[in-house]
Amino acid sequence: MDPVLEVRNLRVEYRSDGRTVVGADRVSFAIGPGEIFGLAGESGCGKSTIANAVMRLLKPPAQITAGDIRFQGRDVLALAGGELRAFRWRQIAMVFQSAMNSLNPVLTIGEQIGDIFTTHEKLSRRAARDRAGELLELVGIDPERLKAYPHQLSGGMRQRVVIAMAVALHPRLLIMDEPTTALDVVVQQEIMAQIRDLQRELGFSILFITHDMSLMVELSQRIGVMYGGRIVELAAADDLFAKPLHPYSEALMNAFPPLTGPRRELTGLFDAPRTTDSCGFHIRCPPDRSDCSMNIPDLREVAPGRWVARSTEGDLR
Amino acid sequence: MTAPLLSVRGLTKDFQVGTVFSRRRVRAVNDVSFDLPAGLITALVGESGSGKSTIARCLARLEAPTAGQVLLNGKDVLRTERRGASRAYRRTVQMVFQDPFGSLNPVHRIEHFLTRALVLHGRSAAPEALRELLTSVGLTEDMLHSYPHELSGGQRQRVAIARALAVEPKLILADEPTSMLDVSVRVGVLNLMRRLRTDRDIAMLYITHDLGSARYLADTTMVMFAGEIVEGGDALAVMDAPAHPYTRLLLSAVPDPRRSSGYDPIERARLRDAILNPTACPYGSDGTCSRTEPVRHIVGEDQGHPHWVRCHLRAPATGIANRLLKATDDLKKAETTAA
Repeated sequence: MDPVLEVRNLRVEYRSDGRTVVGADRVSFAIGPGEIFGLAGESGCGKSTIANAVMRLLKPPAQITAGDIRFQGRDVLALAGGELRAFRWRQIAMVFQSAMNSLNPVLTIGEQIGDIFTTHEKLSRRAARDRAGELLELVGIDPERLKAYPHQLSGGMRQRVVIAMAVALHPRLLIMDEPTTALDVVVQQEIMAQIRDLQRELGFSILFITHDMSLMVELSQRIGVMYGGRIVELAAADDLFAKPLHPYSEALMNAFPPLTGPRRELTGLFDAPRTTDSCGFHIRCPPDRSDCSMNIPDLREVAPGRWVARSTEGDLR
Repeated sequence: MTAPLLSVRGLTKDFQVGTVFSRRRVRAVNDVSFDLPAGLITALVGESGSGKSTIARCLARLEAPTAGQVLLNGKDVLRTERRGASRAYRRTVQMVFQDPFGSLNPVHRIEHFLTRALVLHGRSAAPEALRELLTSVGLTEDMLHSYPHELSGGQRQRVAIARALAVEPKLILADEPTSMLDVSVRVGVLNLMRRLRTDRDIAMLYITHDLGSARYLADTTMVMFAGEIVEGGDALAVMDAPAHPYTRLLLSAVPDPRRSSGYDPIERARLRDAILNPTACPYGSDGTCSRTEPVRHIVGEDQGHPHWVRCHLRAPATGIANRLLKATDDLKKAETTAA
């Protein structure tokens, strides 16, 4: 089947004062219909840059300098004006990091959800309110709450409102950038269950971005691990979890101590700020990988559907 | 067993909320008692709003408790030091805050934070002393002249820990020290805390909502729910054999693909219901729990730490308890047959 979203060789640069920082480089991946694809990595690795590039939300100094993004065959980078407005939200919707703070504090929930329908579907206020009520029910909130202001809802409820708003126009792809980072575990678990239910019901694809590998493995079907603006490993979630091939994927998985099994010593990563030209992993890699300390090698397919950044053939470890 | 370093007895903290006309009191911490033994890491876990941080702030004397005692080496410091903590208390008990971006003044160099802590507590701030402090937390000497914004989050948190260490405390209160840090450096900070406990015999109260890290780091764990501590014991025992429904709920919510036996959604829904609506405890529909305060019951002992829980479910056999236990057994049976 044709992929819903296809990103090829994307390169994003942040340029200012004659200095260029590469936010993402040679990033390629595709998301199939109904697929949940995860992008994992720590802060500053470029995951949010990718999300913003797909939504066409990048603003100067950020620039897409190479590559292309196709959504159901259409060139996203060529969209402009009205086309772009219709594309956002209706085709691809996004739930931002700390989305629960993105609600307008002086408008009621009902007015904010209703705005989507009056703007995008030209519904009357009354009809919009009814639709807003249905939407709230979809995420398990009493429609009575339409009259509530954001501060009257808990963090988890606000996050659910934001998710409901994102899926209001039945987009084909939902981008979620760390949707549960600010929430408690119990609430996080509920939100994730809710997202899974909605996905099953409405059939959209998800680009899921987080640094929490355990959460990602539980939710996603395929995962791309990003490091320093590059994808260093791309694999099915279960394969990646069973045996990460890149040392960074392994380090990321080890960053969360497990809840079961014997207690064993974990080694943290290097905590100096890294520069874009050093991989930071040469300390953990075998000597023959020393050539990658200056650059992260391109992805190679080591098994069907399984890609890892390595410079030479042969086993990594 | 030796006497604990710090004991808390009947600690209660009320906050006033609302305006003059609608003043209400919210009880953040309700009659909490526990001991912090010397040289051990005690984890305090629970959701946001359960009162974990309030306990830490009361112990750090940043809040005045409404009632209760805080006994340091057997002396009630709330009584002897009414107006605020003495320097001697601060020398013994230090706090590390959640946000390393907010807890270091941006206009000063790292040197300043460490020097100030040393000088205020009457120690020598010689270059060797500063160097030793920095190396003990895994930083290098050249960072003395850096400003906080030049360091990464993990490095800043290490500076905050070094500052606490400057007075050679016996107890460090660490309020979610890793939650603001990037994933890749969290483990490094946890390992540092463990090393400080092992090498310097510093006791810690490690407050977190990350159960995995509590299991990784702590010797004993206490679980907090709605202002009360509901379960406590050896860190592994509490996580591996949780006795209180709330602990089970918390654990079931943590994503962990390694866990072979996932929690079944029906049980989770039941647990959740019990927590959100305490009168509807799945194990006792007669509302026993909302009418009476559960008392502590010991359910086991591991590594010399008693594992206790406050839940009617675990009460020694009485009429109610028998009925409740039977209900759980039936539940388990139903589960095994379902599986």
